[in-house]
Amino acid sequence: MTGRARIPIASGLARREGLGFHSGGFAAAASPARSCYNRAVVPLLRQAWLLARNDLRQELRDLELVLTAAFFTVVVLVMFALAFAALPASAHVLAVPGMLWLGVAFAGALTLTRIFDREREADTLRALLTWPVDRVAIYFGKLLVSLSIVLGCGALLMPALALLFPAAQALVARPLESALLLLLGSLAYCAVGTLFAAGLATASGKNVLISVILYPLTSPALIFALVSTRALLEDHPQFPTYLGQLAAVDAVVVVLGAWLFEPVLLGGARKPAAGPSSRTRSRRGEAT
Amino acid sequence: MKRYIPVALFALAAFVTPYSVNRVFLHTGIERKMGTVQKIFYFHVPLAWIMMALAVTCGIAAMIQLRRQSRLAEATSIAAGELVLITGLGVLITGPIWGHATWGRAWTWDARQVSTGLLWLIFAAFVLLRRYGAGGSDRLAAALAIFGAIDVPIIYYAVKIWKTTHPTTDVVGSLPPQMWNALWPCLIALVAMSIGLLLVRIRQEQGAMALDDAWIAFDERGAGKRGEVGDA
Amino acid sequence: MDAVVIAPLVIDGVERRFGRLAVLRDIHLRVDSGEVIGLLGANGSGKTTLLSICAGLLPASGGRCCFGARGEGELDVAGRRRLAFVAHSTQLYPRLDAEENLRLYASLRATTAAPDKVEFAALLRRVGLGDAGRRPVGAFSRGMQQRLAIARALLGTPDVLLLDEPFTALDHGGQKLLIEILLAERDRGAAILLSSHDLEAVAECSDRAVLLADGRIVATTARSGSTRDDYAARIRSLGAGAGREAEAAV
Repeated sequence: MTGRARIPIASGLARREGLGFHSGGFAAAASPARSCYNRAVVPLLRQAWLLARNDLRQELRDLELVLTAAFFTVVVLVMFALAFAALPASAHVLAVPGMLWLGVAFAGALTLTRIFDREREADTLRALLTWPVDRVAIYFGKLLVSLSIVLGCGALLMPALALLFPAAQALVARPLESALLLLLGSLAYCAVGTLFAAGLATASGKNVLISVILYPLTSPALIFALVSTRALLEDHPQFPTYLGQLAAVDAVVVVLGAWLFEPVLLGGARKPAAGPSSRTRSRRGEAT
Repeated sequence: MKRYIPVALFALAAFVTPYSVNRVFLHTGIERKMGTVQKIFYFHVPLAWIMMALAVTCGIAAMIQLRRQSRLAEATSIAAGELVLITGLGVLITGPIWGHATWGRAWTWDARQVSTGLLWLIFAAFVLLRRYGAGGSDRLAAALAIFGAIDVPIIYYAVKIWKTTHPTTDVVGSLPPQMWNALWPCLIALVAMSIGLLLVRIRQEQGAMALDDAWIAFDERGAGKRGEVGDA
Repeated sequence: MDAVVIAPLVIDGVERRFGRLAVLRDIHLRVDSGEVIGLLGANGSGKTTLLSICAGLLPASGGRCCFGARGEGELDVAGRRRLAFVAHSTQLYPRLDAEENLRLYASLRATTAAPDKVEFAALLRRVGLGDAGRRPVGAFSRGMQQRLAIARALLGTPDVLLLDEPFTALDHGGQKLLIEILLAERDRGAAILLSSHDLEAVAECSDRAVLLADGRIVATTARSGSTRDDYAARIRSLGAGAGREAEAAV
């Protein structure tokens, strides 16, 4: 094996120098704004997409996440159906939004935990962190994966709830609004969840804490989603307004999640202004 | 000098609190509809304000902690987070009492009640994470605090957005001057008390960090001349 | 430091503590380009922590790691482009095959939308995995995974190579191969910092060896000028020192 692998150093070098990875990027840019866009946003989206595609490709190999999440959603649905079948029809409008978003929250927590468990099994998240990848791209990649699985669960929940509870007809009858609602609600949930699941996966491995953190933290977003869902079911004229508010919450949460991702995973950059060892000295002074 | 600031604040609180009780119970009229129970308002509202302010303080300190790795900021966020829990408990106890008088029911699932409860839960998670999370979870807890602080404005506007039965937020602005006169001393006493506690807790946390430093410094000296430590 | 050539990796007074435990104390180390430095030390002496700080995975509690001529403390994307880290765990996706693993990391590295065709097969041959390219990594032995992790580290011709216990799990042939690769990278001009318990291997490939004990550098030895056997003997005595330090710490 060794003998075969022995290729001349020089040729190996020449080959790898020719890979073009150090091509210098975007030498000629038309305007500063455009160059900034080219330099920062395009690679970011590309890397996020590559990472998400990589996760989805792995997922296609054994469908573990998709099948467990789908099965779990069905189980939750059955439990809801058993628990709430006896509800008077007038209460359905109030109960269905709760069932929808609780189902999303449960399936989402399961999915998020599992996605980052998978990264932890082989410690691959750390490899990505040392690689020249924008950390924000890692966040968006993971967000995309968890969001797509949670959306899948939601797509299962919505028709099933419409089938079980006649009051929830609107979930199927107005597919465009329902899809938008599901997207906005799940986005807020996953944006928060991705940040904290990633933090827990690299920090301590105490995954129990994810539910301690996730449910209180995402509840404002989930309440907005609840209100919007109820408005949808009741054909409330303010439904678009509620949806807009949910979108605003989404924007806040996604920006915050992306901004906090790197400091949470790796700790913030220390200010080197004070020089390397003066800080040490002053701390010593403080201690004595 | 610095260490006397909390003492001064506590002294202030100790003087103002009896005065405020006097003011609230003996020199302010009894509200017509709600009766004597309404007087809890003078403690509930300042506590709620203080809780909000502490939550925001905790979030801002956590932000600085994450960005600068500042130990003062870390100590502040720990202290403020824990105090949110305590003042929040006060709010959550006094709120339903007042609510019972106003709406006839202690807990109405009103939006502001719910979100105060949620804010309290978030900071409970913060304290749990700080206490039981292993290495690296200090940063995670900081992120949690930041999200918690962001929740504060959402809570504030929740009333308007969800159109609930809670007295609208401008109830305080339109108080009769007599009520303001009673509210001020309560606010001053409680704010002095909370800032005093905050400073004490920050100092304590900084002391714990300095103790860790001293421990390491001692250990380091010991490692340098290992043989001599036993003799000395 | 004026206009002199600045080493690719300068560790300047780095310390790291976990609460009351000081894992690293005031480490100063300079890895020049074209130099291999071996980190020796007993378990828990801080080798992995030091490498993690260099790789930007852990913030230092004090001091800093500087990379390259720019001498910047933080590792941004451009800084990480010049760095490769082979961790103790292999950090590969078990569901993907060897080529897919490499392709992911290569395409993440590439700046253009369509990365150049990379001859992964040649790279895999270089680490002795020539015929395993299409097999899922989950079915690899630990040694094969280690080889693949090394191949990944070589993807971008890094200026700084950090390796944490790279010789573990490698068979004899693999160790020889890795030493060859390291020497080739060194001759190319890479700065290499590796930790190991394998004294023979360190003696074989390093230019300097540094002994860490209880979070500080307690001894250093350099190859310069001495014969190979002489250097190996000194490394062995350093290794024995590591054992003694560990006992003394207990």
